Amino acid sequence: MGRHVGIVGVGQTHHARRRTDVSQAGLVREAVNRALADAKLTMDDIDAVVVATGPVLFAAVNQPEKWVADAIGAHLKPLVRITSGGGTGFAGALGAYYQIASGQHDRVLVVAYDKLSEGALQYSISTLYDPFWGREFAVGIMGFSAAYWRARMDPLGHTEEAAAMVAVKNRKHAMSNPYAHVKKEVTVEEVMSSKELAWPIKLLDVPPISDGAAAVVLSCESKAKESTDRPAWITGMGYFCEADNPPDRNMLLSEPLALAARRVYRAAGITNPRRQFDVVEVQEPYTCFELSYYESLGLCEPGGAAELVASGATSAGGDIPVNLSGGCMGANPIGAVGLIRLIEAATQVMGKSECIQVPNAKCALAQTGGGWANLRGVAVLQA
Amino acid sequence: MLARPDTYAIDMEPLKSSLAMPYTLTPGRAAGAFLAEVANRRIVGSKFKNSGKVTVPAQDFCPISGDAEFDLIEAPATGTLTAFTETQFGLIGLVRIDGSDVDFPHQILGARYDDLNIGDRVEAVWSDEPVETSILNIAGFKLSPNAPVGQIKPLENPAEQVEVVKYAIDLKYEHAFGPYYGRMFDEIKNNRRIMGVRVPDGSESAYLPPRETCDITHKQTGTWVEVAHTGTVRAMSIINFEFVGQKKKPPYVYAEIKLDGASTRLIHNVYLPDFTMEKAKAMVKPGTRVRAVWSDKRTGSMDDISHFEIIDQ
Repeated sequence: MGRHVGIVGVGQTHHARRRTDVSQAGLVREAVNRALADAKLTMDDIDAVVVATGPVLFAAVNQPEKWVADAIGAHLKPLVRITSGGGTGFAGALGAYYQIASGQHDRVLVVAYDKLSEGALQYSISTLYDPFWGREFAVGIMGFSAAYWRARMDPLGHTEEAAAMVAVKNRKHAMSNPYAHVKKEVTVEEVMSSKELAWPIKLLDVPPISDGAAAVVLSCESKAKESTDRPAWITGMGYFCEADNPPDRNMLLSEPLALAARRVYRAAGITNPRRQFDVVEVQEPYTCFELSYYESLGLCEPGGAAELVASGATSAGGDIPVNLSGGCMGANPIGAVGLIRLIEAATQVMGKSECIQVPNAKCALAQTGGGWANLRGVAVLQA
Repeated sequence: MLARPDTYAIDMEPLKSSLAMPYTLTPGRAAGAFLAEVANRRIVGSKFKNSGKVTVPAQDFCPISGDAEFDLIEAPATGTLTAFTETQFGLIGLVRIDGSDVDFPHQILGARYDDLNIGDRVEAVWSDEPVETSILNIAGFKLSPNAPVGQIKPLENPAEQVEVVKYAIDLKYEHAFGPYYGRMFDEIKNNRRIMGVRVPDGSESAYLPPRETCDITHKQTGTWVEVAHTGTVRAMSIINFEFVGQKKKPPYVYAEIKLDGASTRLIHNVYLPDFTMEKAKAMVKPGTRVRAVWSDKRTGSMDDISHFEIIDQ
């Protein structure tokens, strides 16, 4: 068992479809300034830095961490870059967590970002397919995500209406998020009649494409009090992988997510997730994913997701609110999103959410994902 | 241990592929100002307020202190050579503009390698033709032994910063097939057979694509086995949007298909005559039976299967 690790400062940019006033490095700087100010620290207090960004193809800069180091004043500090598709920001935080838990460093800054306005997103993502086997037919991540949803639709009841309810809920929650850039409420009917992009996925099931950055300061227990009286303690954190094309792969449940949840829940003492979590943040690149995550995370039984969202339990005021920040529907700077989910969960248990604060939130769940469904992460944060 | 004869590599040319993508890059305030002014034959740098350091070309952040507060300055067109090398594209040098604390790379023009020495005085050579949003408005630097040491000065009447720089990449790759993919694509090309390898422990079901070890047990896979040209749709979606790099004009059906005899899925398209969205939703579902239709072309790739068609039940 390593040392306790807490989140003591957070910051994110006001996300936008396109920021023409700042470079990638300038975008990062904004988030870092906010996180350091929130933690009442300067770069001099930071022992090491983790830079987390999406694939180089997103913005055509190889080794962007060398720019970022200059831009945040991390000259001559220990610094590594971590990248893991959609789970990049979360994986970066995990890298920082390990450095502190192990005793190597006391305070680590993790910064995650993507400036998606600069490149060809779906084509870049398509390169995650085997060049011999499937890339000819690749359709970014949307076509495959839609196909998996179609496979779950009949046996698990993940209907188009149920996914539309996720879109309605998250877009409504995003209205209260000062950092979201898509703020427009929609109805189930509007989602259902929006353009079919990769049916069953429709336009309003899809998040925006965003420029944005996020940063978090993680600290060991002894130094945490210099930043805050109420850190968000990470009581469990893991990121699991499955094989790319294994035999008889389960299409109904995310096996790496279920495995990650089981391990992390055990570490954090979670035996009844629906009752014990006060608030949940999931990375739902498309609305259909959120339904699947409810089941893989044990918030309901397999096949119970449509009923769960319809009951209002996962909406603001419900007993297990999911994505009070609006999730990806409010902003989706992919490399940063895993870290943003962690920030939104952490600020809930720190009692300082800038979105809809759950009164007295003590225990929060954050989920992330990368790859084409085969990398999944879970973290539990407690006051 | 000797390799089994059926896994000998087949001599195939590597798969040629390319990634060509457009970009719209954002230089930010300082580099944006540099790019705007270099078109006017002025070289812009940043002077950082706390550290006092000067960077030419201009940067948003002091590389030493991380200082973000700066004034834009106009730098002289003269400097000193701090490093150089000869490449197939000519001489490349690092130039420290007079008054700057950092170096930057550019071409050295009108000289031979043997003419160059560290510390030589150099002077910017301006491009005859304007180059849109590019540092190549400075064509390069030439030796200028008697160039006086210039001074930086405040930048007056700066041009509006460049906010977007167009860019493109066009990367060429050659992927090696290896023995397993090599045999599979050779069979597809020459024999129109779809070959997998048996899952370990005597199973009759096959891995497709074939591979050396089982993903789950890490045991060596078994012997080669042909799988059927028919199979079952396990997952599908209807692609109805356009994106850069798309190979096929939408709308079309994307499907993950488990061929009879295989334990894994392949990705392909299901063709419907007289396509409509409603027809595709109704006719292609998890469980729908499909058959591979071979292309007239023999390329040794998955494109040798033109598409899958629905088997009438």
